[in-house]
Parts: sequence; structure tokens; C-alpha cells
Amino acid sequence: MPVYAYVIIGVVVLAAFWVVVVFNHLVRLGNEAKRGWSNIDVQLKRRTDLIPNLVEAVKGYAAHEREVFEAVTAARVAMQQASGPAQAGAANKQASAALGRLFAVAEAYPQLRASENFQKLQDELTDTEDKIAAARRYYNQTVYQYNTRLQSFPDLIVARLGGFNEREFFELESPAEAQLPNIDFSGDATPR
Amino acid sequence: MTLQEQIRSNRIRSSMLVLTFGLIFVGIGAAVQALYGGYSLIIIAGIAFVYALYSWFANGRMIASWTGAKEVTKEEYPDLVRAVENASIAAGLEQTPKVRVVDDPCPNAFAAGGSPKTAYVAATTGLLAMMNKRELEAVIAHEIGHVRNRDVRLMSLAAVLVGVVALVADLALRFAFFGGGRRRDGGNPILMIVGLVMLIAAPIAAIGIQMSLSRRREYLADESSAEITGDPEGLAMALWKLKQDTTELRHANRATAHLYIETPLNNVSGVRAAMSGLFDTHPSLDARIESLEKMGGFKLAALIDPQPTLS
Repeated sequence: MPVYAYVIIGVVVLAAFWVVVVFNHLVRLGNEAKRGWSNIDVQLKRRTDLIPNLVEAVKGYAAHEREVFEAVTAARVAMQQASGPAQAGAANKQASAALGRLFAVAEAYPQLRASENFQKLQDELTDTEDKIAAARRYYNQTVYQYNTRLQSFPDLIVARLGGFNEREFFELESPAEAQLPNIDFSGDATPR
Repeated sequence: MTLQEQIRSNRIRSSMLVLTFGLIFVGIGAAVQALYGGYSLIIIAGIAFVYALYSWFANGRMIASWTGAKEVTKEEYPDLVRAVENASIAAGLEQTPKVRVVDDPCPNAFAAGGSPKTAYVAATTGLLAMMNKRELEAVIAHEIGHVRNRDVRLMSLAAVLVGVVALVADLALRFAFFGGGRRRDGGNPILMIVGLVMLIAAPIAAIGIQMSLSRRREYLADESSAEITGDPEGLAMALWKLKQDTTELRHANRATAHLYIETPLNNVSGVRAAMSGLFDTHPSLDARIESLEKMGGFKLAALIDPQPTLS
């Protein structure tokens, strides 16, 4: 075989190797984003499960505040019907606003506030909100990394061929939010 | 270096660490051999091998029993367990580490164990009493940062290995100075002096390794905490509170010192105090707060109560 044949074979092998590496990296990032999303999803479900109990608890003391209950129930339906992170995010925001109003109403009923059941539900809801916030940070960071790789040359060639699609952010308030602070793992012991 | 590279380097260092301690033990064995003769080298090397193997798998449990950290449930400590859960979610850990509590009024926290699956986070009751929710979350996120960066196995191994080197060298030295079965055939005096020097040098070498592992990692875990909670101010306030505190941990121990978020050896005085700057396992809290201020673009003085004492 002539020399150029070896060169061509070498280039092809290297290119194939590169494709495999990039492909695997994209799959890994995609899986991380998926896992991040499932963390959010679990908490969103928990939140929708808690809402009816909360409405029942408040109804026992403040049955005439119908408007607020309707808003909360509507938000819950929106959460259940949402598909994809962007919609789920919008529905979750709607639920937060409605729940905020519900808790504001509850303030006016000392007996309700004193009830153990109500306190427990409020505590659980606060916990889900904290966990959604925590899961959101991780998810948006991984989505940012993943999407950036998909958009940048030369990885985007592999991404197009492999049928990788960009993922939606969840309740992203500003683009800076998703970016990791620039952590330098190689620094020495002196503070920067 | 990226996080992935940091993780890989930690894995390699863990193996290197075990190997290095193996060599230190062979050194100790040789020293004892020179002093006492017999089968000392083989026996000590054999014990060291078994111990290293055991500590690779059981370091978490060993440290738990040294420090008095007891496993707790969510019902007992809901705020602490939630802080651990939330930090794990935000750090993207696949599994929430177990939670332990040390019954001690001195505020401190540490993480220990092997992989993220077997690691645990421990806090003292003093820490839980002192910190508000935001600060507690920041401290726990620092520990979760150690877990995610795969620092825990390396640091736990260093703890159990430093502990045993100090113990064995100490025992051997005591025997050497206070009689106890000296070689009857006299032995080679030069060899015996070399042996003594090695016995003294072994714990110092062990501590050197321990120090080289821990200082930079504290800055990294502080940064990881800020990344996990998105709140460098919370950690800076927590560190400031730790700085005000002067109580000393009851189970404070040279071997496990580098595990804690803040050095547990606060109130040593005299020679040990003078030495402690040299052998510190932690950068000063002021330096760490300063680095957080730079990262978050804030000034701690503007956040804290102007009163000099804790309320």
C-alpha cells in the first residue's frame, strides 16, 4: 500500500475515535440533565399532592374564601397538565402565587394557624419549595453545559448527526443564574 | 482542572496515600527491627497491610467511633437532615449521604466515609444550636462539596492512617526509652540511632501528608458550598460565627483534625500553639472569609451585627 493510504486510514480512525468521545460526552451530559429534571419532577408531584390537603385544611376555618381556593385549584390543574420544563415552570410559578395568597388569607385565622395539621402542611410545602429551588439550580447548570456543547463547533456536527436536541430551562430568571462560578481546581493554598 | 479531573486526581492520591503509609510502616518496621531484632519487620508490615486494607473499607465507621458521631433520623433532626437533602440535590449527588450528630457543645462539622454512596455528614449539637437555617445550609453544603469533589475517602484514609502511625511510633518509642526487652546481642549502634530517628520522623511525615491534603481542599469546598447554595454570604457569616467561638471539641484529635470545617484544636497553648501555625490543617478563617468575599463581591462587615459578642 502507498503511504497516503496509511495516512487516510489514520485520519479516518482518529475521526471515528473523536466522534465516539464527543458522542459519549453528550450522552453523559444529557443523562445528568435528565436526572436533574427527575429531581424537580418528584418535588413538583409532591407539591401537587399536598395542595388538596392544604385547601381542605383551610376550608375548615375559612370556607367563604372561594376565590382563593379556585386560584389554587386552577394552578394545581395547570401543574398536572404541564408538559416539559418550561410549561411546568410557568405552572409552578402560578401555584406559588396562588399559595402565597392562600397563606396570606390563613393569617387572618389564628385557630387555623394554630392547628397542627395546617402547620405540618405548611412545613412540608416550604420543604418542597426549598427542594425545587435546589434541584432547579443543578438542573439549569447541567442544561446550560449541555446546550452550550450542542451549539459549539465542532461538537455540533456530532450533535446534529446523533439527533441531540437542546433542553428547556426550568424557571430561569437570568442567563447568569445557570452559569457556574468559575472554580479553579488547580489553585494553590492562597486565596484568590 | 475541572471537577472531573479533580475527582480523578483524588482517586489516584487515595491509592498513593495508602502506598506511602505502607512505606512509612515498612520504615517503622525496619526501625523496630534495628532496635529489637527478631521478626519485628515482618510482623509490623503484616499488621500494617491488614490495617490499610481494613481502613480502605471501614474508615467511615472508624472515624464515627473516634469522634462519637451517631446516626440520626429525620424525625430527630428535621432541619439538619433537610439541609443535607437539599445540598445533595443541588450538588447533583445520586444519593443523599447519611447524617450523624456528635453530642458536643463546640460547633463543628465534618464529612467522612468512602464513595458518595457510603459517605456521611456529621454535625455537632453545638453547631445546630448556633447556626440559623441559612448558615447551617452553607456549612452542610461545604461538607457536601467534600463529598461531591470525592475528598472524603482521601481525607478519611489520611485520618485513620495518621492515627495509627502516631500510635505505633509512639508505642515503639516508649519501649525504646523505657526499657522493655532491649536486644540482648547489643545490635549495631548506628542502626539503632537510625531506627530512633525514623521512629521520631514517621509521625511528622504522616502529619506532613495530612496537611498537604487538607488546606487547599478547604478553599475548594468553600467555593463548592457557594456554588451549591448560591449563597457565599451565608457561609461567610457561618465562618465568622465559628471564629467567635472558643470552645474546644471534646473528641479533638490530631488525626481527625483536617476533617472538620474548622480546626477543632482551638485552645492549645504554649509549645503546641507555637507549633500549630506550622502544622495547621486549615487555612485561617479570616483568609477563607476573604476569599468568599472576593467570590461573591460583598463585605462581611456590612452583613454582621456590629456588636462584638454573639447574641
